[in-house]
Amino acid sequence: MILYDAHHLAPCYAVRLLAGCLGVTLELEPLDVYPGHANQTEAFLALNPLGTLPVLVDGPCIITDWLEALAHLALTHDRAWFPAEHAALIGWLGMARDLGASAGAARLIDTFGAPGDAAAARAQANALLDEVERRLWFSERGFSERGFGERIGQDWLIEGPHPSIADLACFVFIAPCEDGGLSLRDRPALRRWCDRVRFLPGFVSMSGVFPPMANTGR
Amino acid sequence: MSGLQPGVWYAIAAEHDLPKDHVYRTMLGGHELAAWRSTDGAVHVWEDRCPHRGVRFSLGEVVGDELRCQYHAWRFGKTGACTFIPAQPDLKVPRTIHAAVWPVALSAGLVWSGIEPTGAPPELPPGAVLRAIPIARAAASVAHALVKEPLSGLALVLQPLDETATIVRGIALDDDLVRADHALLALRRRLEQAA
Amino acid sequence: MTPVDPILWNDWHPVAARCMLDPARAHETMLLGVPLVVTINADGTIAVQRVDHAAPHQDERYGLVWVCLGTPTREILPIPEADEPDRPIVVVGSVGVRASGPRVIENFLDLGHLGYVHARYLGDDPHTRVLPYTVEPLPEGGIIATQCKMFQPQASPAATEGFMVDYIYKVERPLATCLYKANPVQRDRFDIIFLIVQPVTEETSIAHPLLLCLPDGTTPAALRAFQQTIFMQDKPILENQVPKRLPLADGAELPIAADKSSVAYRRWLSAIGLTWGVIRADEKARAA
Repeated sequence: MILYDAHHLAPCYAVRLLAGCLGVTLELEPLDVYPGHANQTEAFLALNPLGTLPVLVDGPCIITDWLEALAHLALTHDRAWFPAEHAALIGWLGMARDLGASAGAARLIDTFGAPGDAAAARAQANALLDEVERRLWFSERGFSERGFGERIGQDWLIEGPHPSIADLACFVFIAPCEDGGLSLRDRPALRRWCDRVRFLPGFVSMSGVFPPMANTGR
Repeated sequence: MSGLQPGVWYAIAAEHDLPKDHVYRTMLGGHELAAWRSTDGAVHVWEDRCPHRGVRFSLGEVVGDELRCQYHAWRFGKTGACTFIPAQPDLKVPRTIHAAVWPVALSAGLVWSGIEPTGAPPELPPGAVLRAIPIARAAASVAHALVKEPLSGLALVLQPLDETATIVRGIALDDDLVRADHALLALRRRLEQAA
Repeated sequence: MTPVDPILWNDWHPVAARCMLDPARAHETMLLGVPLVVTINADGTIAVQRVDHAAPHQDERYGLVWVCLGTPTREILPIPEADEPDRPIVVVGSVGVRASGPRVIENFLDLGHLGYVHARYLGDDPHTRVLPYTVEPLPEGGIIATQCKMFQPQASPAATEGFMVDYIYKVERPLATCLYKANPVQRDRFDIIFLIVQPVTEETSIAHPLLLCLPDGTTPAALRAFQQTIFMQDKPILENQVPKRLPLADGAELPIAADKSSVAYRRWLSAIGLTWGVIRADEKARAA
């Protein structure tokens, strides 16, 4: 499998992160997006007319949407990451896209000088982060999506003992959101959840997202 | 640095905010604080700032009974003393290198701290610890709104973050955390949408 | 209006890289609190204007656009190695950071974090001991640190194994630093990395790294990716340093022997009287 990749782009990181958790090897084809604009060459646009990264190539399959790439990897390697019986999976993947358009955009604007209105992006992101915080907090307390009753505390966005692609898809925008001027200081449930993702076996980092420190015996 | 009265205990976290191997981050009266739990369950509240180059401890990691700073991996033990400096592993670390330790008390499922607090933290009635809600208004405004329109069934305390923001914490007397959450979010909307 | 620190006001600073500019979109930036607009037209001509349309002193060198808002007291930072024919300049791409310029420079000089923040790239546990090194003033101002050694698992994209790398660091202007690193293939010559920091506000900056490396088959794209990765690892550290402005008073923060360059850098900034982005020794610390 080949992944056309740029290290610092969160959607690319999401695919690399899932691959790490699945123990799957990807052959990386790095592109110099910034400042090289290598995703706008004729050759790349022939592969993906939208010019976006990542692109996952698995045999004859060319997948140009990063969420679809996550779904593809999960479905082909470990369905525990793709809880299809939960409608919430779709909601959370939609949330991930919205986080990308807001928190992700603010990060690219502030860090790499990408075009856009960082203040507007942050305002949108803050509302979304507050909502993820609220739902995670209630999840931790044991409240399910559909009803309330004492259950065992949940660690992940979707009910159940196993993380899903929804967690990783949201994590790649939430973990580095402070790069874009947002803050997780008053969002303790998000901070705890980020640690849980970081401590997953096979976790890989993106620059700016700290992996667990070495020599910690975890 | 205002609004923080010496001698007073302020709630700065819920006990459930401090799982193992995690650094909790907050602010009190303009002071940035980090809190973590050692393996014996004790809670430690420090100024959120490594004395080496000022990097926030909350960026670091708890490993067993030590907090490691993310920058140079200096290790700090439960007492706040620096115990190991990897760049100079043979150095016996001078006692002058330590975290700034704040007082801690645990009560009513909350973690309390403050500047030279006296006595015990305020008693709260039994119930379920609420989700803490930050409100972008000064503590005095929040307090005033709660006096004008009290929220029934809730015992609340205020944590002034700084002059412009407050966290509302407390207990739901009827254990109905969802109802309490709705009430506090409504309070937040009323306050933040007003001038 | 409080006058801006004359040391920086009357010096040259980068405000953009040519390769980042686009004829379709004016580039808005800020230098020392002053908003600027940088444009490039179809024939490649670059112009910098202030919001009132006045044009400050401007020039282009090393692929970067430089501006002096005041009256230049000296020329743009000279980089003699830029003239060596076998040494192409690679502009890495500017990165914004919510940190003061002096904090960014000081981090670049720091050896103790290489094995942690840049684990597996520039250093690694357990080889994180910082061996003693030497720091001296430069005759024209600034400091030079020599005999810096660090074990690096992958000191550059071309390196195939780890080895002890010799470093020399220089700071020649308050916001410009460079590193001479022994080239992994031609061990008697150096690769050079410059970090020039654009002071945006006292608490925010834009870093402009430049690479002047001896060709060894590594593509410019790979060199850029490596340096960007390194800087992006430093970014959250820099943005989480409190206070934002670099404290110059002895004892404000606690250096150890490994921090000799940082101590020398802070003392030099005190000696020249820099006020921008620092908390002077005689100043009561303002809230971060």
